[in-house]
Amino acid sequence: MSAAAGTVRIFGAIRKRSPLIHQQIRLINQSQVELNLSDDSLPSKARVVICGGGVQGAAVAYELAKLGLGNETVLLEQGRLGGGSTWHSTGLVTHLRNTYTETRLARDSVALYKELDSQGLKTGWRQCGSLSVARTKDRMTMFRRIKARAQAWKIPCEVFTVNEVAAKCPIILTSDVLGGLWVPGDGVGDPYEICVSLISAARKKGVKIIESCSIYKVMEDKGKVSAVETSKGNIQCDVFVNCGGLWARKVGKLSQTPVKVPLHPCEHYCLHTKPIPGLDPNTPVVKDEDGQIYLRENEGKLLIGGFELIAKPAFEDGKVPDNFSHQSLIPDWDHFHVLLEQMLHRIPKLSDIVIERLCNGPEAFSPDGKWLLGEAPEVQNYFVAAGANTMGLSAAGGLAKATAGLILGRGGGLPADSYELELSRFLGLHNNRRYLRDRVKEVPGMHFKLPYPFQEFTTGRNLRMSPIYPRLRQAGAVFGQVMGYERPSYFDTSIDSEAARSADSPDYEEHYGLRPFRIATTNTFGKPPWFDIVESEYTACRETVGISDYSSFTKMDLWSKGSQVVDFLQKVCSNDVDIPIGGIIHTGMQNEKGGYENDCSFARLAENRYMMLAPTIQQTRCKTWMQRHMPSDGSVAVSDVTSMYTAICVMGPHAIPLLSELADVDLNPSFFPFFTFKELDVGLASGIRAMNLTHTGELGCVLYIPNEFALHVYSGLVEFGKKYGLQHCGYYAMRALRIEKFYAFWGQDLDTSTTPLECGRSFRVKFDKKANFIGKDALLKQREEGIKRMYVQLILQDHDSEVDLWPWGGEPILKDGRYVGATTTTGYGFTLGRQVCLGFVENRDEKGNTGLVTNDFVLSGDYQVDIAGVRYEAKVNLNSPVLPTKYTPIDPERLRYQATRPHIK
Amino acid sequence: MTYLGFFNVVNVPCIQVTAILRVNEYTQEFQGFSVKSYDSNQLPSNNPIEDTRAEARCLLTQGLLLGIFDGHAGGSCAQVLSKRLFKYVAASLLHPEVVHKYSQAPTDLIQSFNDNYELAKILEELYSSSFKQFLTDLAKQTSEVDANKALERAFLRIDQDMSQEAEPTVAGPASQATLTVAAAGAVACVSYIAGAHLHVASTGDCQAVLGSVTENNRWTATKLTEEHNSDNAAEVARILAEHPPNEQDTVIKMDRLLGQLAPLRAFGDFRFKWSRDRLRRLLVPKLGDQALPPNYYTPPYLTAKPQVTHHRLTPKDKFLVIASDGLWDLISPLQAVRLVGEHMSGKVTLNPFRLPKSEMKLKEVNQLLLQRKEGLKMKPLDTNAATHLIRNALGGTEYGVDHGKLSQLLMLPDDMVRVFRDDITVTVVYFDSEFLQKCPA
Repeated sequence: MSAAAGTVRIFGAIRKRSPLIHQQIRLINQSQVELNLSDDSLPSKARVVICGGGVQGAAVAYELAKLGLGNETVLLEQGRLGGGSTWHSTGLVTHLRNTYTETRLARDSVALYKELDSQGLKTGWRQCGSLSVARTKDRMTMFRRIKARAQAWKIPCEVFTVNEVAAKCPIILTSDVLGGLWVPGDGVGDPYEICVSLISAARKKGVKIIESCSIYKVMEDKGKVSAVETSKGNIQCDVFVNCGGLWARKVGKLSQTPVKVPLHPCEHYCLHTKPIPGLDPNTPVVKDEDGQIYLRENEGKLLIGGFELIAKPAFEDGKVPDNFSHQSLIPDWDHFHVLLEQMLHRIPKLSDIVIERLCNGPEAFSPDGKWLLGEAPEVQNYFVAAGANTMGLSAAGGLAKATAGLILGRGGGLPADSYELELSRFLGLHNNRRYLRDRVKEVPGMHFKLPYPFQEFTTGRNLRMSPIYPRLRQAGAVFGQVMGYERPSYFDTSIDSEAARSADSPDYEEHYGLRPFRIATTNTFGKPPWFDIVESEYTACRETVGISDYSSFTKMDLWSKGSQVVDFLQKVCSNDVDIPIGGIIHTGMQNEKGGYENDCSFARLAENRYMMLAPTIQQTRCKTWMQRHMPSDGSVAVSDVTSMYTAICVMGPHAIPLLSELADVDLNPSFFPFFTFKELDVGLASGIRAMNLTHTGELGCVLYIPNEFALHVYSGLVEFGKKYGLQHCGYYAMRALRIEKFYAFWGQDLDTSTTPLECGRSFRVKFDKKANFIGKDALLKQREEGIKRMYVQLILQDHDSEVDLWPWGGEPILKDGRYVGATTTTGYGFTLGRQVCLGFVENRDEKGNTGLVTNDFVLSGDYQVDIAGVRYEAKVNLNSPVLPTKYTPIDPERLRYQATRPHIK
Repeated sequence: MTYLGFFNVVNVPCIQVTAILRVNEYTQEFQGFSVKSYDSNQLPSNNPIEDTRAEARCLLTQGLLLGIFDGHAGGSCAQVLSKRLFKYVAASLLHPEVVHKYSQAPTDLIQSFNDNYELAKILEELYSSSFKQFLTDLAKQTSEVDANKALERAFLRIDQDMSQEAEPTVAGPASQATLTVAAAGAVACVSYIAGAHLHVASTGDCQAVLGSVTENNRWTATKLTEEHNSDNAAEVARILAEHPPNEQDTVIKMDRLLGQLAPLRAFGDFRFKWSRDRLRRLLVPKLGDQALPPNYYTPPYLTAKPQVTHHRLTPKDKFLVIASDGLWDLISPLQAVRLVGEHMSGKVTLNPFRLPKSEMKLKEVNQLLLQRKEGLKMKPLDTNAATHLIRNALGGTEYGVDHGKLSQLLMLPDDMVRVFRDDITVTVVYFDSEFLQKCPA
């Protein structure tokens, strides 16, 4: 162990190390920081208590201090500052993330470090740029797609030729490289120095820092944070921020109502070399994603890390020792070897370089690889900023600024569309320890995997399944997962179930004759392998009848004794929910800014009882939103009934005749109109709710079937459906249908920043209803002033779906050659025979200022959509199109229905 | 292995090394029992070896007894124990009424396996009369005792009997032999497995370790014994508390009991148990004045009382490793469990890799790791898991078993060998997971 003992310099700070044995893990270094930034006594009161003295907690403290809360903020650290993953993190800061939200937060992070730098505080920040290299054509496509997006986001970025790559970074091997991506604004920082600088700056503004202070319990009063019990006494507070990093999940469990913070540590390896003579101090960050490795220069040495495809979870019992501070784990060299081989390949010179050490520092990963942000659904005024998935420095500043904004209630929430990072995206299953442990094996590897469309995880599968799942699988279903639910993406019957079954399959269901479990894959940026299948499913929905499993949809029951539930819904919904019993109303739930917190449908079951149907990913989120706005007297009850019903959508021209036969009742439109529901007897079962809407624009309805009847009803549908040409359809076909019909979906097209006026849905906002609803003022103001962006449908004109790269969302939209927005969702329109892109259009001038967007503005001008650097001509639509059909519509009213209509002023 | 370099040792061929390692191999299989089989092996260091082992099936109760005895000051005490102790345990496990019936019409209490030597006739007779007395005493008991208590009773009684048998008045012509046994000592670890119940009794510093798989298919090691030596703070405290304060500095000196005995609990070793008078009368004539340990004021200083643990076996528990300290001096419980666990699936286990020196170039590191990768593909040489453990304990490196290191350690001259390795005895007991799955609580 002599090589590991002694004093080591990491990013300039001197730390002493000594061998230490802890449990069965031998920790190679225990560092001591020669700093004293701690205050002695714990105040008895504060407005905000931050838990965690890593770079994340420090950044939140700093942002709060900047906003004037310095004297009312206390930061508690169980050990010493920066002891979790802050001290060993490599400090890469990269802008261009997969989503705009994360990109913007990363931009805020860089701004923060520059701000510290300008105050003369130490940050280690160096804008050395980052250079990604491609080994494959698809990687180059990814670079071009990123570049297209970056241009729209105004982040400088260039696609490099091999020669340019070699010139920018001569130490790397380029013989197998096809090109590169150069992001000059990226850089590196020293997480530890930044942490210390943020803490000292925050202290100057009054923030109290208490080290060696463990949290025992976070107390609540009426569902809100009220105090924190610590090893140094109790402290009353209004707000608690969990920046616990590796310990954040554990801290989550310490509140009276446990807060789910789904994180699990994984081993993360970083190789430190000895000084390399002649190493250019301006060596950029290099990412060889096809080889899963990255490197940066640090004081004449190289730090090289990687994201192996199968990572090793750390602390598998779920317990991260409290005293695991400034420590690393014993490295598993055999595990690291795959990365080392890639490093030696990419940097030939490395062979003769002497190793200083291999650091195995645990990092916390979330089940979807995304950061954790926002208010806990379980406890009010309890915020979390954690789970940076090794991107600590890219995330810290942005997450801190967003959290500070939330705490101060600035503008009623997070900056725009942060829903994908918010805690409300999780269910209980996501916090299951074994689920996390299994899942995080593949999360680190996702960082550098090619981001093909519809990425799927392979762990944590077959978790939530509808009762008809085995039958769907037998029918050839190939699955995608949403909120833990297995949802058929498409049905592939071409594979012989016997042949595909592997002899040593762990899947015992196969031994009962089920087809093997298959996960949907796309693995291309061009025409997907499932194209023909989805076309056939699409056609069934348009011309005969298709059935699709909608069981994952969020379903809630709401009721009250008197009319309180109606009053409540009138307050939270922008449409008028006071509809006749038996009716269905589609409405948004707006926030104060008028944005969509939720987009859902209500079926009025009785005078004072509704059933709510909402997108799958709203399950935690919408319930929390409603509960926070409910009358405090408990007069309105809400119950999550998602798991009680199986939902089967039956759609297509033959849907109603099929159902009529199966239910033995005439379901013609005059008896069963659009936007109503009926309780039916289907087959021999009863109490099946048929909702006359399909969420795709096709004729038909969704059957909400109590779970015990699901197989019976399904069997009946399949049997009776044969003569109607019934076909199983998956999610991809639904998506193709609704995109072509210009139907917006929450979480894909709409988010918390989109207002109904912007997305062609002002017809669903009832300004004149008696009740005042949340967001009304903002929407009225917007109606007065006009909108600054508009949801449009773009039909690509000169795109060849066979050979050209496809749009998959996020592509820049150009109007008269100028960037005006980006696509949200895209798909092939099988009836139109063209690619269809949905997205938002703004009116930006040269300086990037946005002006009003009118119908005339949108309709005048030539549109293009940029797919990986190639611009395709596009025709713009403001209305849902009326698609031709060869069938005489049995429901003409329905055929005319347009989900998206331009706002008429 | 540079520290061995100055011995001029011949590098013997692999086949010979293997032959040496396998001399004492033994394997026994079972049917319809919670134990599927066991592998056992011994490698001597002392000549003759001072370790002994015993395995037997109880015939009147459905249980299996497996023990390892590590003798010191000669092997006689360990030999006698391996011959006698299991009968004492088997009898203790019986209900008093059954003991009574049994003593009317004695049959075999146990069926021993791998039992290779016999006691002298005169000792045989002496021991059988002691045992009869024990049975008579047992039959007087009013109630049955649990297995933990039975083990403890048997341990204490046989030690007491050995003490009695050292008296010339009791032993008669056998007294020369019984005095030799009384002057020697032994530590022991005995496990009794009946259905899903695993009981382990240990006196001294042998160890039993349970190998189990976690839900995540990793191996975990659970120590079922505590070593009774001066590293064990509780044990030291126990002994100090048993003697007056003025002896605090002398009871345990240089990590040894009265500066002499390393294990803090043992069978025999009556030099640490009898009164001064009795020592003067019986052992001083035989051994001289040094028979009396220094600072011998308040005997007894030593006990044979075992620490007994019970563990309810689950299908996750795959095997038990019992071994003398000769093995545990070389590898940790977790290493042993990983070695046996990987051996079960036909894989080799390499020691965790550490950088062998500072100032290593990355290509050198890569070379070593490639070498390991090759090593990991190898199949274990031995089918007997006990041999596999001994081979790896002696020759294991980060790249696989180092033949040179192994043959050097095996070929050391008799006068040097004890410096580098102790007698090693290992028994690996495999559990039947299917049996345990169905086993009633």
